Amino acid sequence: MNTSNNVAQPVHIDRVRKTFGEFVAVREMSLDIAAGEFVTFLGPSGCGKSTTLKMLSGLLPQDSGEIRFGHKRIDMLPPNKRNIGLVFQNYALFPHMSVAENIAFGLRMRGWSRAAKDKRVDQLLQLVRLEGLGGRKPEQLSGGQQQRVAVARALAFNPDLVLLDEPLSNLDAKLREQVRLDLRDIQREANQTTIFVTHDQVEALVMSDRIVLMNKGGVEQVGTPYELYATPTTEFGARFVGANNLVAATLDMSSGTAQARIGADLALPITTCAADLDKDGTTIWFCVRPEHLALRPWNKEGEGQFAGRVLDKIYQGTTVLVDLDVTGLGTIRAERAALEVGDLPIGAYIGVHIERSHAVARSTG
Amino acid sequence: MSTRSRLTPGLFFGRAALIVYLLIMVLWLTFPVLLILLASFQGTLEVSFSAPFNLEAYKTIPPSYWEAFWFTIRAALLATGIALVVAIPAAWAMVRGKLAGRRAMSNLVLIPDVVPQLILGIALLTVFIPLRLSNNFVGVMLALVALSLSTGLRFAEALLEGLPDEYEQAAQSLGANKLTTFRLVVLPLIAPGIAIAALFIFMQNLITFELLFFISGPSATPISIRLFSDIIDRGIVPYAVAMAGILVYVAIAFYALVAVSLGPKYMAGSVMTRKG
Ligand SMILES: Nc1ncnc2c1ncn2[C@@H]1O[C@H](COP(=O)(O)OP(=O)(O)OP(=O)(O)O)[C@@H](O)[C@H]1O
Ligand SMILES: [Mg+2]
Repeated sequence: MNTSNNVAQPVHIDRVRKTFGEFVAVREMSLDIAAGEFVTFLGPSGCGKSTTLKMLSGLLPQDSGEIRFGHKRIDMLPPNKRNIGLVFQNYALFPHMSVAENIAFGLRMRGWSRAAKDKRVDQLLQLVRLEGLGGRKPEQLSGGQQQRVAVARALAFNPDLVLLDEPLSNLDAKLREQVRLDLRDIQREANQTTIFVTHDQVEALVMSDRIVLMNKGGVEQVGTPYELYATPTTEFGARFVGANNLVAATLDMSSGTAQARIGADLALPITTCAADLDKDGTTIWFCVRPEHLALRPWNKEGEGQFAGRVLDKIYQGTTVLVDLDVTGLGTIRAERAALEVGDLPIGAYIGVHIERSHAVARSTG
Repeated sequence: MSTRSRLTPGLFFGRAALIVYLLIMVLWLTFPVLLILLASFQGTLEVSFSAPFNLEAYKTIPPSYWEAFWFTIRAALLATGIALVVAIPAAWAMVRGKLAGRRAMSNLVLIPDVVPQLILGIALLTVFIPLRLSNNFVGVMLALVALSLSTGLRFAEALLEGLPDEYEQAAQSLGANKLTTFRLVVLPLIAPGIAIAALFIFMQNLITFELLFFISGPSATPISIRLFSDIIDRGIVPYAVAMAGILVYVAIAFYALVAVSLGPKYMAGSVMTRKG
């Protein structure tokens, strides 16, 4: 019986679709996941993340489309034949079995010998750092420990794919930050192809190799955390991932480089543009991240600076959020180091510099 | 909780009223049982505290009573077992299978409960006579199964509805087929509730009377019918009171058995599935 390193398979999701009556829960989703990759489905509540996972695991039949592991089609197999590990939001550990029995359940179903099972369970308890707790009942564990048992149970039988549906949402904030990294380490160590579902963008940015940004049953953007953060392709992406200032503008290509025309007489250079933006006159959002707004003392002769009046300051520990009323741009928010703006009085005027900017198409006027 | 509301006069009287109310209720519920138990040690329903309490009435219980008693115990146990073995998988298929016509099924199985038992008994008799099932053990037992099934199905349905389906989904994703999932996950999780259902059904079978009125006969007499006919013929004889006492012991013994094997938390109220 092989107990480790089966050859990891890439996963192909091909035009998978699901409707509930008239309502389209998932529209034609296609995605290729490399073996060993950690992919996160990120999106607001109701966008179809869980529905997609259920179709992958076989708990819900898809209307159309295909799912393949390598070359093997699996979408017509029942859940127990798919070799997919599932971690539920509330873990669903079997309350009448010990931790070890829970972890061994998938092995038991595959007819592993007693000795092989014991060895594998020990391996996994070590992997999730729960050595010595195999004899406990799930109810005798903390939330974080239960979560790790659920992960161990899903990894134990070397599944082709592990699916986790918001597995951290029952943990308190502090623990969540820790478990995020633990989970990431465990996944890497096991080289386990994984899909992780969350509506928390920080979680997605911290953990993923790639993020699939979902909205209303469709895929908005697929990319690395950096790509999603630095170069969103849609307005939804620009608003959903990370804090952002969006200023209504039109695209001006007359000078050869992309500029954002705001109002009658203001034209600002755009650092990066969403890929499909090249037509002069397109209505766009001019996006500036709070940390890309530099604040310097107001200087009458200064180039490329805006006059900003400090409206409010929100202290966050290492950084301070500064709400500003900026001539020509309206109300925008900057995020600066606490040391830098700690003594900036509310009502003061300050010079605002835009260090980086990005543009996405504006869907509505 | 560290903050307790202060005991105002209004609250005090409210509490006192509640306690009195509960006491009366408990008395009302236990009074007949207590009376029967006391009476069985005197052989008469006119319990008097000046008369001696002894086991004389028990000693006079005739063999025909013991025969009827064991007949009933056997039939009740067997019917309970059969009903649960049929009802639990059926309920699982109904609750999880999302079968068409599930509503109709759920309602159909209520019929034995809403139709007066006497009428059900007559209906069964018309079927049992040609099958030679009247006046015999199998007939009585099958009549009890019909009654037990409806209780069993309703219990099992409620238990399964209350069980989050994630446990089953988890088992399946780990590789368990339907049967294994049922055996290793569903059954153990609803076992406490099933034990309570068994207790209820068994008790019901033990004392069912009207349903068996026509189906029973001289060679198949449940204890309830025996007591009834003796009391009609001869009045409240001492050994009838003693036998009533024995039925109470059986009830208490079964209750205790279930309570001890489950632990107290499952017996109080509505906690019937294992907690995760
Ligand atoms: N069985 C169902 N019948 C009808 N509509 C459903 C069903 N299951 C899900 N939906 C709908 O499909 C949409 C997607 O649901 P899904 O559970 O996939 O959302 P989600 O992205 O997981 O959201 P959340 O973050 O809240 O868990 C929702 O609008 C939901 O109302
Ligand atoms: Mg969900």
